Formats: sequence, C-alpha cells, structure tokens
Amino acid sequence: MRGPIISFRGITKQYPPDITALSDIDLSIEKGEFVFLTGPSGSGKSTLLKLLSCMERPTAGELSLDDFDLTNLSPSQVPYVRRKIGVIFQDFKLIATKTVFENVALSLQVIGLSSEQISKRVRDILELMGLATKATSYPLQLSGGEQQRVAIARAVVNRPSIILADEPTGNLDRGMTNEVMALVEELNAEGATVIFATHDESLFANTYRRVLTMKEGRLKT
Amino acid sequence: MNLNHFIQRAVADFRQNLPMQLMTTVVVCLSILIFTFFSFIYYNLQRTVEHFGSELGLVVFLKTDIQESRIPILHQKLLNMPGIESVKYVSPEEAFDRLGQYFEDAKGLLDGADQYFLPASFELRVNRAIFNLERIQALAAELEKWNEVAQVQYGKSWVDRLSAFVAVGKKVIWVSAVLLLATSAFVVSNTIKLAIYARQEEVSIMRLVGATNGFIQGPFLLEAMFQGLAGSLLSIGLVFLCYSYFKGVLAQTELMRGVELIFLPFSYVSSIVISSIVFCVCWTFLSIRRFLLV
Repeated sequence: MRGPIISFRGITKQYPPDITALSDIDLSIEKGEFVFLTGPSGSGKSTLLKLLSCMERPTAGELSLDDFDLTNLSPSQVPYVRRKIGVIFQDFKLIATKTVFENVALSLQVIGLSSEQISKRVRDILELMGLATKATSYPLQLSGGEQQRVAIARAVVNRPSIILADEPTGNLDRGMTNEVMALVEELNAEGATVIFATHDESLFANTYRRVLTMKEGRLKT
Repeated sequence: MNLNHFIQRAVADFRQNLPMQLMTTVVVCLSILIFTFFSFIYYNLQRTVEHFGSELGLVVFLKTDIQESRIPILHQKLLNMPGIESVKYVSPEEAFDRLGQYFEDAKGLLDGADQYFLPASFELRVNRAIFNLERIQALAAELEKWNEVAQVQYGKSWVDRLSAFVAVGKKVIWVSAVLLLATSAFVVSNTIKLAIYARQEEVSIMRLVGATNGFIQGPFLLEAMFQGLAGSLLSIGLVFLCYSYFKGVLAQTELMRGVELIFLPFSYVSSIVISSIVFCVCWTFLSIRRFLLV
C-alpha cells in the first residue's frame, strides 16, 4: 500500500508579530493526484505552496514531501527537495538576460547532466511546448502565453514528480489559459502530482478532480 | 556539476553582464595600480639608498704622532678585515698634492703651507655585496676605537640625512598604501556587491530550480578570479609603462648616474597577482553568502 506523496499534519504558519497565514492544516495528497487549490487573495494558497517548495518553514506541525521531512530539513537538503518539484509562477520568473534555451536548461544543469543530454532534453521539451523556433529568443521578445510555456518547460524538463502551479494562468487570456491547462493535464496524465492554485472558478467548474478551498488560512471542508 | 558548465556559465554571464564586469575589473585595476605604484617607488628608493651607501668608501685619518713602523701593520690589519676589498695608504705629501690639484685654479692659496700639515690616511673600499649602509656605519664606529685612528669619514651627515629621508618615506608610503588598500577594499567589495545585487533575481530563480550553493557560487567565483587576474595584470602593465618611461628619463640625469631604475621582481609581481585574485574571490564569496541563505 502506497502512502501520500504530500502530507500536512496540524501545519501552522505564523509571521511576526502575530499574523497567522496558515492554521492547523491537515491534508494528504496521493501520488499522481491533480488537486485544485482555491480561495480568495490572502487565504493562504501561496503560503501553502511556499512551504512545499521550502521557501518558508512551518511554525508548527509536521510536513512531509515524498521521502523528505520538511519540518526538520537541513539547509543542505533543500536543493534536493526542489529538484523533485517543478514550480510554475503567475509572473513566470524567467531570467531576462538568458535565452529560452538557457532558461530551460538551467533545471538540468543544476542536476549535473552533460551538455549533450541537456541539449537533447531541452530541444524535446521546447518541441512539445511548441517553442522550438523560439529557443534563441529572450523572454521579453515573447508573448505572455509563450513566456508561461517557457516557465512550464523549465518546471517539467527535469521530470519532477510534483508540480506546484501558483496562479499560472493569472496573466493569460482565455485561449492561452486553456493551452496551459491542457499542458498541465498532460503532465499529470504522465504521472506527475499537480497542485494547481487558482481563484479562477471556471477552471475547476464541472471537474471531477479534488478542489481544496482555503479561507483565512484554513482549509474549508 | 561539471567544471565545463561552470566555465560556460561564467563566460556567458561575463558576456551578458559586460558593463558591470568591466566596471568591477577597472575598480580592481585602479586599486591594485595604486598599491603597485607605491611598491615600485619604495622598492627603487630603497635600492637607491643601498646603492649610494655601498658606493661610499671610508677614509681612516691617522693621528699625526703615529710611528712610521705602525703604518704597514695597520695596512695589513685593515686588509685582513672581512669585506674590505682594497686599502690605499695616502701619505701627508700625497694628500697635500691632491689638495693642490683641487685648488688648481687658485694655486697661491697653498703657498707657504707646510706640505706635512695634512694627516696620513687609509682609503678603504668595501665589498658592496656585504656592506650595506648600516654595516658601514658600524665599521666606522669600530675603527674609531683604534688608538692610532684620529677620525673616520664616510659622508656621515649625507648618509644620515638620506637614511632619515628613506625611513620617513618608508613610513609615509606604507601608511598611505594601507589606507588606500582599505579604501580600495571598500570600493571593490561594494562594486562586487552591486554586481551581485543586479543578479539577485537570477540567483533566487536558480535556488528555486534546485541549484546548490556551489552551483550558484561557482561562476561568480570564476568571474571574480578573472577580475582579480585582469585587474592586477592591467595595473602591473601600467606601472611597467611608467617604469619604461622614467627609466629613459632618469638615465639622462646627472644625479641618478650609476643608479638603474628596476622593475619589481617576479616574486613581488606574482604576489600582487595572487593577492588580487584571492582578495576578489574572498569578497565575492562573502558578498554572495547572504543571497544563499535558504
């Protein structure tokens, strides 16, 4: 029997002096699951994702991701947790001075692949994302949708087991939003666990997938 | 992480951030230039003093009541002293003749003077390799203790003044060098910090995709090594140009005849290059640490 790939047990996150961003969160996510995370701005969606990507540490509770205990993680282990996760942001977070190819290649360079392996895998993912002709372009030369596809390519090129998407369609029009959704669903179909944070209800209306709603730092049941 | 990626990324980063990289290199160059130039001046000043010091001979004036028989004994005694290359005896008559030659244009001045009124003396030449200024002073002090010796001359007042000048010069140069180096350290470290601030977002994105601290630091440290190397070589090159120019100019001046301006020795130059590289790498390492906190 397989356990959950992500487990929150009584997780609380507080910021000084007395701001509670997350309060007593209990949550389990199974491997290969696609979960929507929704709620109004300031409800704690991003904080929850930040805890998973080790950008923040919980104040109380137990948090585990795959084989890692994130509550007691040493700083030297953080990069290895992050390599299991692909993070997609609303603002893309691309390096403006690097080409599309270089931005995507970064995820593979950090895990120490050879130049040949990097070249092949980056070209394959750019082909899959419909960006093959944009490899030498710089992010600012691309449309918003293209930039988001580059960000997705960078997040998934190292084949992470978990994808965290923080409002990835927030800056995109309907056509591009559908495009991004199709890509993420395809990655989920290939086995990746996805947590998709959004406040766009149309994305999960009529869905058969689990929808987690947050309000004032708590999960609504 | 392989070295090839480090180098490729360092080269790519250098190209992409060329203005900032060049600015840092120029600041490093100017800082090292100041230090190298001071070192060059001090090194040559010290050599010049050593040169003048070793050029000095000693004149040992004998007492007028000395017995003739003691002169060959003293001559031999002086010759036997370590570091003495030659000893020439100058009799009172020869001294008088030399004085006559000196006043050739006013021969009447010495008319009627007793040709034995000048004391006999020994003129000593010392081995330059062994005798520096301090040792000549010590030798003179020792000879003055001899019973037959009336006085020892070696241009004492001139040498003392020159020594005092060099001693003050040495202090001024080193205090200035230390102050300039401290200022340079501040400027260079801030320039390096600025360069890293400009790439703060890039560093945070690298961390997000799982880069280790070593992966992030590697290219920055390679760039710092290059900046230290390029900056120091450039500054040494500029000082070498100054040296080449002044060498020609000084060779034509009467005062500096016999003194050759020389460039800093290889060991000195290599120390400056290595120190510059170490300095840049250390400051970059310390500056980037704050961006690597998880």
